[in-house]
Amino acid sequence: MNRNGDAICICPEGSTQRSPGQVSTCRDAALGSFLWIATAALLVGCDSAQPPEFRLNMVEAVTQETAPEYQQEIADVLGALFGTPDKPFAMPESGLDQSKLRLAAGPAWSDQHGYNFGLYRRHCVHCHGVTGDGRGPTARFLNPYPRDYRPGVYKFKSTFNPARPTDADLHTVLINGVPGTAMPSFSLLPNSEVEALVEYVKYLSYRGQMETELIKYVYDELGEEEAENENGEALVDGDGEPVMLRIPLDPANDAEQREIIVGILEEIVAGWDEANDQIIMPEVGDLPDDDRSAEEIFASVEKGRKLFYGVRANCIKCHGPTALGDGQTDDHNNWQKAHKKFLEDTAAMAESLHRSENELPDQIEAIEAQEKEGQIDSAEAEEQIQELEDQLDGERQLYVSRFEVGETLYPLRNAMPRNLRQGIYRGGRRRVDVFWRIYTGIAGTPMPGSGPASPGAKGTLTEAEMWNIVDYVITLPYEAASQPQKALPKNIDEVL
Amino acid sequence: MSDSLQTTTTHIGWRTSGLGRPSQNRNRGFLQSVVVLLLLVAGCQRGEELGPVARANSSIKIRDAFSSSSGDVASGGASGATGTGWATLQGRFVFDGTPPEMEPYNVNKDQATCVTGGKTPLQETLLVDSATKGIANVAIYVRSASRVHESAGPKEDSQKFDQKACVFLAHVFPLTVGQTMQIMNSDNVGHNTNIDGKNGFNQIIPAGETVAFKPQKEEAVPVGIACSIHPWMKAYFLPRKNGYYAVTGADGSFEIANVPAGENLEFQVWHESSGGRGGPLVLNTPQAKELKWSKKGRFKIKLAEDEVRELELTVPAAAFGG
Repeated sequence: MNRNGDAICICPEGSTQRSPGQVSTCRDAALGSFLWIATAALLVGCDSAQPPEFRLNMVEAVTQETAPEYQQEIADVLGALFGTPDKPFAMPESGLDQSKLRLAAGPAWSDQHGYNFGLYRRHCVHCHGVTGDGRGPTARFLNPYPRDYRPGVYKFKSTFNPARPTDADLHTVLINGVPGTAMPSFSLLPNSEVEALVEYVKYLSYRGQMETELIKYVYDELGEEEAENENGEALVDGDGEPVMLRIPLDPANDAEQREIIVGILEEIVAGWDEANDQIIMPEVGDLPDDDRSAEEIFASVEKGRKLFYGVRANCIKCHGPTALGDGQTDDHNNWQKAHKKFLEDTAAMAESLHRSENELPDQIEAIEAQEKEGQIDSAEAEEQIQELEDQLDGERQLYVSRFEVGETLYPLRNAMPRNLRQGIYRGGRRRVDVFWRIYTGIAGTPMPGSGPASPGAKGTLTEAEMWNIVDYVITLPYEAASQPQKALPKNIDEVL
Repeated sequence: MSDSLQTTTTHIGWRTSGLGRPSQNRNRGFLQSVVVLLLLVAGCQRGEELGPVARANSSIKIRDAFSSSSGDVASGGASGATGTGWATLQGRFVFDGTPPEMEPYNVNKDQATCVTGGKTPLQETLLVDSATKGIANVAIYVRSASRVHESAGPKEDSQKFDQKACVFLAHVFPLTVGQTMQIMNSDNVGHNTNIDGKNGFNQIIPAGETVAFKPQKEEAVPVGIACSIHPWMKAYFLPRKNGYYAVTGADGSFEIANVPAGENLEFQVWHESSGGRGGPLVLNTPQAKELKWSKKGRFKIKLAEDEVRELELTVPAAAFGG
């Protein structure tokens, strides 16, 4: 087609003039039909999909400068410990229920009795992604972005801030959805299906946490090492340089690595298992009575209001003096913070790479000058130049891999404090839900807690004070300021 | 369907008509097929799917090894021989180059408290002492110790961590697991202290009050401490299982006493602005090469019993990306 939108003939030397709908007079019709076939192939080709695969967390891998061989080895180990999206596997140490995982994993289908399989792919994958990285096909268009399960951090739960959620917490989120977000309620699913999905979400978190730990382990403990002989003496090559050996991540043959990996898995599992001991149970003595009089409620709301605006609870700093969520709006949640740091570091690296490239000619000149003056011989000069160029190459490769990964990230978003006048509570609207948010903050976000940070620690506010804030916060949507007067109808006279 | 086919050809035709001149029809046809071929090749790989996937054969092999406890036990599971006695490593980190000037923080709220006497507090990302050229806030610590002297064992006391004029008064500091951090707020505005890493902590610290926090888990590198209310506030802390650590003072000096002698000890060195991004401090100086300083900011050293080793380490400006 030319710029007017008319189709042009694609032929080596024939006329390119053609009006819409006119039959082509190309001599090279073969090329033309090839193009049509190829275009058709383009349109249908991607449907013959490979089975979905778990992908590596490349932000983490590139940040820790995991070499490609190690990336492959980590993927293999994760495949061993967790299987594939079609065939999940649970190590006995994980305590995960393999039968539940099988119900949730794999392609979506139903058997003749109406039992459903592949629940994750039926209900969740389009937002949360195959790997549970919160990067399904629709994720980019959602605000907030879907949860990335891989760090094992969940916002809406009954446990202390650093603790994992309980199964019941995840169950609640699935049943209620997350109001005000794209996360719907799955309350119409049979309980067994919700339980299978909870298990699968945990499975994806275990896998994601294991992945991060393996990447760290490879960085911390493996890598290149100087080779030694049996007597512990360093081996050198012909030039007197030490012989370097790459220590592979190879638990199939290395029992010590196996032991370490099982240890990491057990620690991850312990974190989830102890969630049940980390539940915040409100003190019965501080619980507001069910049958409070209007005056009592009003008094509590007043106390809550004072705390909300005061310097002890400090709610207004972020939620704003109007409680519209317009206070502190330039912070990010942890998921976004990690991406922000990644992008900033990549930009810094581009700058330093640019500087190194500019400096290289001068550095080479200096070495050559030394060579001319006879301070070093030509072999040494060459070696030094080679070393400089290798170093620059290494930097360049690292930058390119970071850049590639950076390009895949979604636009950064700020953490927006909740507008408390709307009466929409993402973590649930029961009084105890609001209480937990105030008590322990929201994990992974800037929202801090006012209660003790762990069992037995000292809190900032008393539980009675936190209940006062609960009272104030849940009355906010009903204040006059939250219910702006609608314009009166124009034909008001006729209505009255 | 035919609409979408047309759109595709439109796109290709447009791309090539931009590339070739009208007289180069032969070229144009060639280019168009190249573009289509490229699309064919690239079309099915979604750009976002980077990185490898598990190889089924390798995974099965590894899984089998996990389920049967047999297999070759790696030779020399324990890391090297252990020595006897104790030694001390001390020294200084000295800046080589023009020390950077610190910019003021972007103080955009609570100015009455956070800007004292009309002076906005300066950043502390790279502090070099003008007299001695010493570099402050370098963390240096033993990665793993085969044995720990009683003086370096886990401590149980409390350490103050204060904030004043919206600046954390300690910028980089270590603690042993089991020590208590007394987080104070000497300002008349509220802060919150948000600690990254395995010991996640995020609590309101009201004006004039103190909140205790007891880290339980060791970290491999210092983790960030921030205040969400005043986002410019930044500090780092390093919880370790033992006290074999130091953070350099204003003159760049450090001392780690009573480390195991007679065996290879690996030290990790960290600075918040290493390489311009923060992390392991990598040195390429001849002196560092002698110590076999690694790209992970580590070096190994073997000290004799009762030896006091002095290390005066020159750090070129380039190590901070400058």
